[in-house]
Amino acid sequence: MPSPLTHDDPQAFGPYRPVARLGSGGMGTVYLARTAGGRTVALKTMHARIASDTAFRTRFRLETDAARVVGERYGAGVVDADPRAETPWFATEYVLGPPLDDAVELCGPLPEQSVRALGAALCGALGQLHASDVVHRDLKPSNVLLTAYGPKIIDFGIARAAGDDRLTRVGVAVGTPAFMSPEQASGQEHSAAGDVFALAGLLVFAATGRPPFGHGQAADLLYRVQYAEPDLTGVPSSLVPLLAQCLDKNPFRRPATDWLAAELHDGSGEFADHLPDAVLADIGRRAAEVWQIMPQRLLAPADEPDMAETVAPARWSRRRLLLTGGTATLAVAAAGTAGVWAWNERGGSGPDRPPAPGPSNRLLPRKRLDSIWQIQVDEDDLFEEVMQPGQLHVVGDMVVTVAPHLIGVTAKTGQRQWASNLMDSDWQVATDGERVLGLGPSDEGASSGKAGGDPLLVTSIDLLTGELNDPQVSLPEFNGELVGDQLVCTANGIAYVVAGRGKFVHSRFTANQTWYLFAVDLSTGKRLWTTPLPARRSGSVRLYFLSAAVVGRDLVALQEANDGTVHAVVRDTRSGAVRWDRPLAGVKASSVQLPLVTDARHLYLGAGELRALRLRDGRTAWESKSSRPGRTYGPPALKNGTLYAIEKGLGMVALDPGSGRVKWEEQGGQGVEADLKAVPVIGTDHAYSRRASKLWAIDLSSHAPTDSYRTTGNRFIAHEKSRTVISMGGNFLAAFPLR
Amino acid sequence: MHATGGATDVAGTGGQGPAGRSSRHVGPYALITSLDDPRTRIPVPERRYIARSDDGQHTVLLSLPQLGGDPQRFLAEAEASRYLLGPCAAPATALAAPGEPAWHARPYLPALPLPTALAVHGGPLPEQTVRALGVALAETLAVLHGQGLTFAGVSPAAVLLCADGPRLTCFGAVRAAAPDGTPRSGLPGLEPGSLPPEQASGGRPRPLGDVYALGATLAYAATGHTTPERDELPPSLRTVLSRCLARDPSTRPQLTELIGALSGDGGTRDGATPVPGPGRLPGRVIAALAHQSGAVLTAEIPVASTAPAPPTTR
Repeated sequence: MPSPLTHDDPQAFGPYRPVARLGSGGMGTVYLARTAGGRTVALKTMHARIASDTAFRTRFRLETDAARVVGERYGAGVVDADPRAETPWFATEYVLGPPLDDAVELCGPLPEQSVRALGAALCGALGQLHASDVVHRDLKPSNVLLTAYGPKIIDFGIARAAGDDRLTRVGVAVGTPAFMSPEQASGQEHSAAGDVFALAGLLVFAATGRPPFGHGQAADLLYRVQYAEPDLTGVPSSLVPLLAQCLDKNPFRRPATDWLAAELHDGSGEFADHLPDAVLADIGRRAAEVWQIMPQRLLAPADEPDMAETVAPARWSRRRLLLTGGTATLAVAAAGTAGVWAWNERGGSGPDRPPAPGPSNRLLPRKRLDSIWQIQVDEDDLFEEVMQPGQLHVVGDMVVTVAPHLIGVTAKTGQRQWASNLMDSDWQVATDGERVLGLGPSDEGASSGKAGGDPLLVTSIDLLTGELNDPQVSLPEFNGELVGDQLVCTANGIAYVVAGRGKFVHSRFTANQTWYLFAVDLSTGKRLWTTPLPARRSGSVRLYFLSAAVVGRDLVALQEANDGTVHAVVRDTRSGAVRWDRPLAGVKASSVQLPLVTDARHLYLGAGELRALRLRDGRTAWESKSSRPGRTYGPPALKNGTLYAIEKGLGMVALDPGSGRVKWEEQGGQGVEADLKAVPVIGTDHAYSRRASKLWAIDLSSHAPTDSYRTTGNRFIAHEKSRTVISMGGNFLAAFPLR
Repeated sequence: MHATGGATDVAGTGGQGPAGRSSRHVGPYALITSLDDPRTRIPVPERRYIARSDDGQHTVLLSLPQLGGDPQRFLAEAEASRYLLGPCAAPATALAAPGEPAWHARPYLPALPLPTALAVHGGPLPEQTVRALGVALAETLAVLHGQGLTFAGVSPAAVLLCADGPRLTCFGAVRAAAPDGTPRSGLPGLEPGSLPPEQASGGRPRPLGDVYALGATLAYAATGHTTPERDELPPSLRTVLSRCLARDPSTRPQLTELIGALSGDGGTRDGATPVPGPGRLPGRVIAALAHQSGAVLTAEIPVASTAPAPPTTR
């Protein structure tokens, strides 16, 4: 069921008064709203802070236009819109029917006759879109609503007009990996034939409950979409040849929609005749349920922390915003933020489905957690698969995080000091503990630099306001628009940066780009050294560096090689020369995108076996394989000359970092459930580890758990100055006592 | 479209302007559309509309007495209906104030009168739907009889099909049509086939009359008319429905017996045979309900320039 309005929801949007919330997300909110004459609509808004950027506002208007093009037969009919309002909105009919993914979840795979009727009707919808030169680009089960009169396609957040470059730049790319076309997955043109591919995938899902290329991480899906055969197991045999033809990797061999429609269904009967009883019952339930929604508005919670925030003025160019959605591969990740709408949160809440469980704490009962403070942030889980997760930085008195906008929060109180309205997820930030650096394209001058795009900009961010500080280092030799650009790390006033030259294209890495690692002095703006990097495999979704840190004169880093192996590489900070490079067997790239753990002598690695590599030469100093064979560990943490890690089945262990000798093991037998993914946090008297949905404190002298705190978090860092453990996850940022 | 019960036809009455406060306005409500489709030619004891309060916030099913009917008896039955219990009862929640032309209302729910449902479906309903309908209505009547009341108004038009089960409307239509002791044959609004013979001749309505009317209504659902030949009925329903339609009330089955027969478990409700759940409706009936719901969501009433009084509730 829909949820009540919150105290700060607007009283009206034009002639429409909101009645209830249907869904909410990082981009905006969808309301059930009503005119004075009682006309009831679904009303979609974009947050004013996001709409303050013209690129997003344009995108919103284009989505409205695309929804108008598809019309009310095959889409949610647009009733009214004001894309110029401070909070832009558009109103559509309230569609009575479940999204296809919900329908399959609720009623099981659809019978063949339903799949055929659905497919034929969707061919009609796509035919109409394509005839208007619009390509949907994100056809997937959660974007198709099953009404009694036929399917309706919603969510045109990334639809675009074929050949419209302006639109392309604004609304481009993204898509959902499981239903992407191979050409889209490789960053090429996704044409009308790409929609046919997605349609076939959607029909496979309808018939079997499984997408044709399975589930999994975005990177794996992207690979399978491009190179693997679809899994048609369970598809009715008479449909297999037809769907296989639509799933051809070559777009030119896929059938046209009108031919496909005729092959799928002869058009007899009404659409409702072909639906199974359970889906019909759900449609009937929705038709009745909307009349039982009573207007209700929550009061302002008395214990709400002061959310006063300063919105940093738009200083950085909107180019970066274009870039956010403008990169096929990375944008896979961005699908959860920029490309996909509030009402498709969690892979799709239709306008008439209840909001996804969990997110948006405005909707949650303010249940008491054990935290010192807790604030809502909007996370993007998809994003983490690709980018470095845990963009959670301790800087002075603050915690700075990207969620998805860069926000600064006072660690002691949880007060949000500022939120940058431009900082989007692909912004690169790094910190040395004292200041935060950002990396992005410069908006100075539209002159396309010799590097193929706008100059690269590196600068620090003012921790009081979230604004960019002077001086801003502009590097016209590099293309600041490339999403492969990376702020690797920073120390002693030097920033270590990966940047490329060459044209911006929708895929991350292409053969005509050249890539460099360099060190730049932030006070003078001078590059100290520059060294070329080997080409990254085309279609790679990870940045060059998985993690990095400066130790003395060493730039210590983990990198993923083109064959997928992870290497530890140490470079000289004075020259960039590689001192040693060592492949690490059995280490997965996705499990080491965490802050590096080093001391003056060693680099420590967990996530599998635990081992220490000598920084001097890369040789193994010790490894758990020999001292404790067969054991598995989570990522380690180092504190006061002791290395801590979670051992699978046992819990916290403390080791001597020099020898790997175990100093103590957790007592009490409660460490079995300990989370192997989260990095433990170490205080002065306690070590903290996550188990189930709790953060456990283990006493460093008794070696047994003493306390536990309920938390939604899955990533934790110590903020020693405020004596707090900061947790992030489940759309909350929260603090717990660090003792 | 026929299937909508006419809802779409007036979805755009917002264009009529504020002068629409006349025949399209009753009490505090603006009419949106008629609920019943006259093309079904099945008598309806009330004039029923989908209507909306003048502030646009409350959409209702609004009932008015038939032209020529007695507004006082109509209101008396509406008043009594406010206390009805049971799974498919449809109690009035608002009534006309004294001195006002008679009306009563209850919150809107997408609903198709049984005759409209047959028209939409294209003929008699599937036996499974008829059985489910019969069980739900019989259970509701059983509760009502337990309250010491007689419904006296079960007829095809009185049954509304909703997504979550039927609703039984037109409470007391027989009593409202004419006082006891007055012959009721041929009175406007009373469907003759579902009027028990003892009530047609002026007798006071009693519970076994409801059994007769329910039998006729279920016969209608299964065949398209309330007075079918015996062999028109689905074989498995012939015996029980024929017994409901006995002229002598004392030979009609009790409701518990009827429920047992319709459930197909011979009277014990905890048998292994599953009772068809309410709301198990054919696809086109669901489609028509969704269509009506969508059309009423879209409908807009003329906005009055001054804020009207809220609906009266006694």
